[in-house]
Amino acid sequence: MQQLQTDFQSRDSLISYVKTLAPWAKGDPSPIEGGRQNAELKLASIDPKAYGETRNFGDGKITRLSPYIHHGILSLSEVRNFALSKCGNPQEITKFIQELAWRDFWQRVLTEHPDWAWNDTEPYKTGFTASDYADHLPDDIERGETGTTCIDAFIKELVTTGYIHNHARMYLASYVVHFRRVKWQAGARWFLQHLLDGDIASNNLSWQWVASTFSNKPYIFNLENVHKYFGNLIDTSPDANKLLHASYEELQIRLFPNIKGAL
Amino acid sequence: MNQPLIWLHEEALRVTHPVFRAAPEGTRAIYVWDDEYLSQLDYSLKRLVFMYETLCELPVEILRGDTVSIIKQIAPSILYIPATTKPHITSTMSKIKSVANVEVIPDENFVTITKAADIRRFFPYWNMAQKTAFQKNGGIDA
Ligand SMILES: Cc1cc2nc3c(=O)[nH]c(=O)nc-3n(C[C@H](O)[C@H](O)[C@H](O)COP(=O)(O)OP(=O)(O)OC[C@H]3O[C@@H](n4cnc5c(N)ncnc54)[C@H](O)[C@@H]3O)c2cc1C
Repeated sequence: MQQLQTDFQSRDSLISYVKTLAPWAKGDPSPIEGGRQNAELKLASIDPKAYGETRNFGDGKITRLSPYIHHGILSLSEVRNFALSKCGNPQEITKFIQELAWRDFWQRVLTEHPDWAWNDTEPYKTGFTASDYADHLPDDIERGETGTTCIDAFIKELVTTGYIHNHARMYLASYVVHFRRVKWQAGARWFLQHLLDGDIASNNLSWQWVASTFSNKPYIFNLENVHKYFGNLIDTSPDANKLLHASYEELQIRLFPNIKGAL
Repeated sequence: MNQPLIWLHEEALRVTHPVFRAAPEGTRAIYVWDDEYLSQLDYSLKRLVFMYETLCELPVEILRGDTVSIIKQIAPSILYIPATTKPHITSTMSKIKSVANVEVIPDENFVTITKAADIRRFFPYWNMAQKTAFQKNGGIDA
């Protein structure tokens, strides 16, 4: 057995070393750096009170702690304890604590049902069966060249940084499964390759939630919604995003033609 | 004489993880760079670099090879492993159990739930979880 190097002059030399260990690994390193020191710096700057009101927005006060929490660099309990210490009344940070709890919830679900990691927990509620969905992710999605500008922007961020906002994850998952009719498993696998926080429990079960195999109805979105939450960050003009420029009623008919009546 | 050992995997990369308290002080800790395991996961370089730079800050030896063979070779008196839900790691753990005496150590609890939660939907879970989610250490005295 070979003992590997742990002492490096610079991040660049560490990166070169990892490349030699894993010549098969694709892409470039992320600007987001690992380690406990970086985790503590990020933790010190969280704003759990403002979180509740702003978390759905692309530039909201989200924490970006997920890569550190996923790797156990910070425990969920430690993050909660720190957030409690920053507020007078725990009720002020209800939403934040609840979102942390989602991670705990997904972990418990997977512990109880390891087979749900890759199998549909329930049938799709889209008027389609699993066999109607493609097995593989289309190349244009992988390359971020779908022609729908906001989707391409989210993909680019995912691939270059390994982190995207929760709302962007929901949009991309919905786009893959419902707009392109691809199996959630293909999308989940793709996210796991790239997300620094890529976690089978949170990721795969969230994909199932969007797909409707672990929820009562499929999650869909339209351009108006992307514009509301990300309009100041990316191009959400109708011309550049024609596919998404529709009302929810129109989308439901287009995406789920077998379903009559409300979802 | 055989010594205890900690096998750290990528979901428990901190020295304050309970696995370090469970093991006797000064227990050797290793992370195994297992080429087959990692290439199966097919992670992008971003993920590997993030993990590696985190490992470099920890008091842990990084050994390259097949996980089960390395543990067999070291032959620890007892092997401490942080709990995880990750299927790739749990399947390696099952193999390790045939070559070593294993103790799996869970991470700190986020909440204290006594009754089995209904795990099909979030809100039945949350109704139970919220009783301790707003307490330091999830209601447990650290
Ligand atoms: C399709 C899809 C895939 C996802 N894949 C992952 C994944 O692989 N790994 C992952 O950690 N999260 C995943 N999430 C959940 C969520 O998007 C991220 O945890 C969150 O965006 C991380 O950013 P943050 O640290 O700024 O979160 P914040 O909003 O600041 O929340 C703080 C912490 O709470 C936890 N958390 C918050 N929201 C959720 C949630 N909905 N589910 C689970 N945990 C949550 C995370 O640990 C997060 O770091 C996914 C969500 C979707 C819709």
